[in-house]
Amino acid sequence: MNHNYYLQQSNEIELFEAAASMRLPILIKGPTGCGKTRFIESMGERLNLKVYTVVCHDDLSAADLVGRHLIDESGTYWQDGPLSKAVREGGICYLDEIIEARKDTTVVLHSLADYRRVLPIDRTGELIEAHPDFMLVVSYNPGYQNILKGMKPSTKQRFISLSFTYPTPENEQEIVINESGVDESVAKKLIAIATDIRQLQDSDIQEAVSTRLLVYAAKLISRGFDPYQACMHSIVGSLSDDDELLEVLERLIVLHFPKTES
Amino acid sequence: MEEHIGKVWNNFLRKKTDRAFSSKEILFDEKSRALKIFYHLMGGQKAQELHVTDKRLVSRSRTLLEKISGFGSAFYLSWQDERALYLPASIAYFDDKELNQTTYFWLTAMAAVFHTTRGSYVQRNLQASKQLVERYSGFAVFYEKAVRRSIEQRQDMRDLHDKELLFIDSLKLETIDSNCRYSIDDIYPFGLWIYPPIGKTTLLDEEEDEEEPQRAPDSLDKTETLEMKKQSNQMDDKKESDGLLMFLPDSLMSILEQVNVDRSEDDSFDEDALYNAQDLDEITLGRKKANLSARIKMDLDVQNNQSEQYPVGDGHFIDEWDYKKETYLKNYVRIRPIVDINIEEIDLPKRLKKAAKRVQNEFDFMQLDRLKSSNLDSGDDINLYSYLEFKSHQNRSLHPNRFYESFYKKSRDVATLMLADISLSTEAGITQELRIIDVIKDSLMLFCEALQRLDDKFAIYAFSSLKNSNVRFHIIKNFKQPYSSKIRAQIDNIKPGYYTRLGAAIRESSKILKKQPHNNKLLLIISDGKPNDVDRYDGRYGIEDTKKAILEAKKLGITPFCVTVDTEAKEYLPYLFGRGGYTLIRDGKKLPKALPQIYINLTKQ
Ligand SMILES: Nc1ncnc2c1ncn2[C@@H]1O[C@H](COP(=O)(O)OP(=O)(O)OP(=O)(O)O)[C@@H](O)[C@H]1O
Ligand SMILES: [Mg+2]
Repeated sequence: MNHNYYLQQSNEIELFEAAASMRLPILIKGPTGCGKTRFIESMGERLNLKVYTVVCHDDLSAADLVGRHLIDESGTYWQDGPLSKAVREGGICYLDEIIEARKDTTVVLHSLADYRRVLPIDRTGELIEAHPDFMLVVSYNPGYQNILKGMKPSTKQRFISLSFTYPTPENEQEIVINESGVDESVAKKLIAIATDIRQLQDSDIQEAVSTRLLVYAAKLISRGFDPYQACMHSIVGSLSDDDELLEVLERLIVLHFPKTES
Repeated sequence: MEEHIGKVWNNFLRKKTDRAFSSKEILFDEKSRALKIFYHLMGGQKAQELHVTDKRLVSRSRTLLEKISGFGSAFYLSWQDERALYLPASIAYFDDKELNQTTYFWLTAMAAVFHTTRGSYVQRNLQASKQLVERYSGFAVFYEKAVRRSIEQRQDMRDLHDKELLFIDSLKLETIDSNCRYSIDDIYPFGLWIYPPIGKTTLLDEEEDEEEPQRAPDSLDKTETLEMKKQSNQMDDKKESDGLLMFLPDSLMSILEQVNVDRSEDDSFDEDALYNAQDLDEITLGRKKANLSARIKMDLDVQNNQSEQYPVGDGHFIDEWDYKKETYLKNYVRIRPIVDINIEEIDLPKRLKKAAKRVQNEFDFMQLDRLKSSNLDSGDDINLYSYLEFKSHQNRSLHPNRFYESFYKKSRDVATLMLADISLSTEAGITQELRIIDVIKDSLMLFCEALQRLDDKFAIYAFSSLKNSNVRFHIIKNFKQPYSSKIRAQIDNIKPGYYTRLGAAIRESSKILKKQPHNNKLLLIISDGKPNDVDRYDGRYGIEDTKKAILEAKKLGITPFCVTVDTEAKEYLPYLFGRGGYTLIRDGKKLPKALPQIYINLTKQ
């Protein structure tokens, strides 16, 4: 049975399955909170593969992925990192926010991500051939602004790419209802709010409201929280610190949910 | 009795008269930014500007209204055309501040959804109202209340005139279809509606207005030149001057401010003051057919009377892109490099000291992410992992005996060229005391202080232009010069120039950056507006040339990034720089502090 509810947005499930059967790595692009992690978790369940998630950051070293020597009372021993583990035993290795990792860290992926499908471990001199069920998935948020970062084309061009955006209003409504149990009329209003706010992207705000935030708001409401307050704390509060923008966003909330004093 | 109605009505919709609810008045100026964001929120065009409307004469109804009211028939009604939405300068329709305020937001929302409606203006207003009421329960509450109050305010007038009854009838959202028999002229002006553009002689031009007006290409503008001295009064034609001045470009605005022209009250310019303003030679007045958005352009004489500005050579020529011909105009633009000489070296101004300190501290902190190099024979620390490696290798003699690590500061492989737009529009004020140019200068200084600390390579240039023959490219600091009190003096000495031939300045900057030996090249542009110049370099032409110049830069491996203090979220920025290729600093005062931060974000490793 499926623990992870995932609602397909277009044909990503079929694509993922096809890539998995051809043993091709996948690159997922999309803004924060649009369902990337959820998608992979659900694909893991669907394909019956364990998911090893690594959230990348600029301190992440190759050893954090591949493994390192550790000590115990009997001396030193080798400990596989999540990547080596997935490579050996099969499973999905999911590198979230790959762009945050330094370039010298991501080069270990090169030989894994092309036809060779091998992982060399320098420290032990081992060359692991990938398990047939091993699958490499990386994701990043392309809204990022940095000239020194960005993926090397040689890394990028090893992947099948999937672009995620926020779900369509109908889908998003279904997701929000499913995740939180709010009734349809509330969900509709939340989606209407999000649709309006997303129009501000690029001109007035940096990142738009994510599906995640909508789910948060809906969860608060279904737990009996006042809708106006729930929206203010989940949707509005996290978007900006600019007073005038906040005023306008509050006004938008009030157009849907009457204001109450906190 | 008739006079009574007239008074109430004039009070209801007139500006600058005693209003019944003036203590509950809301001013456009206080809300303009919020309204603009709200307009985007409601799906309105991002390039659309928001302005205050001029009053309009309601001509068809005029005689009738005059009979009723005994007053003239001018109203401040909301309307929009292809470039802007025009709202009343203040609203005090109701005895309730919140209601008046919501009226502004309502009107903004009406304007944003108006393009989806069809039919006569009455129908369109009803359709738009209906959309808002159905979509936003908050607006439903507002609409109900506002209409009820409006009708109550009318009913003070005991017997209702036919028109009043029609008015009340026309507010019913259920009767959109049957209301199509009314023309908007038949119904008394209503503050919650959007009206046809003011330039129309009558409010009834419905067939024509079924479609949104097309944005006329700029080249279709009829442009006529007129000599200031003799014909300045011509600028004050049928239309009132405050309306005309609303469309003045910032650059002219600031000149007008300099010469103390009172733009809102006076009917005409202070001719003498304007004429005496130095450097003012000629004014060109352009005007579109259908709307009154006259534009005034000025050509300024370049008198190089500031002896300390020293042209370096005669300059050189570069190409420009003509999008209509889809070809480069070879050697069409003359770049004139200029340095300021004979200027006194200065210290960092007091007002910046604190900020500089803070930025430097932040940057020092950044250096903490120094590079680590491990596997050294000797070093600051033992690297436990190398040691473990060593220990875990069976054959230790083969394993290098190097398990020390050290940190060192790696010089970063970045060259940054900062290009500052110092066109005349930077003369405009952010606050009473502070002009955009002041903020730009402060920003440059802080930026230098910051980069100095990082040891990153950078250069600073500033530019302005006056037609293709004269793109003034000021050398503030080149890549070779170290940052010093001389450079500070150069920055301090920057003065606003003329126009913004951005494409040329970008090409020139790219040429310089290309020569730098670094792998990462950043072209950081600070600007306060869109590309423009007095010749054809305006509108689409300027935008397309700039876009081309940016593409060329990218091809050279340069990353262009634009920081703009233009408060209008212009739609051309994403087009020019791409998503993620620019930042808007809404509050210009924040630029000095934001700039180092932006730089850090762009170059974080
Ligand atoms: N298609 C979908 N089906 C089901 N739930 C979804 C879907 N899309 C989004 N969600 C909901 O949105 C939430 C956030 O999604 P998720 O954590 O996968 O985002 P993400 O894209 O990984 O974000 P980030 O980039 O910040 O890690 C999920 O917890 C889930 O509730
Ligand atoms: Mg995630």
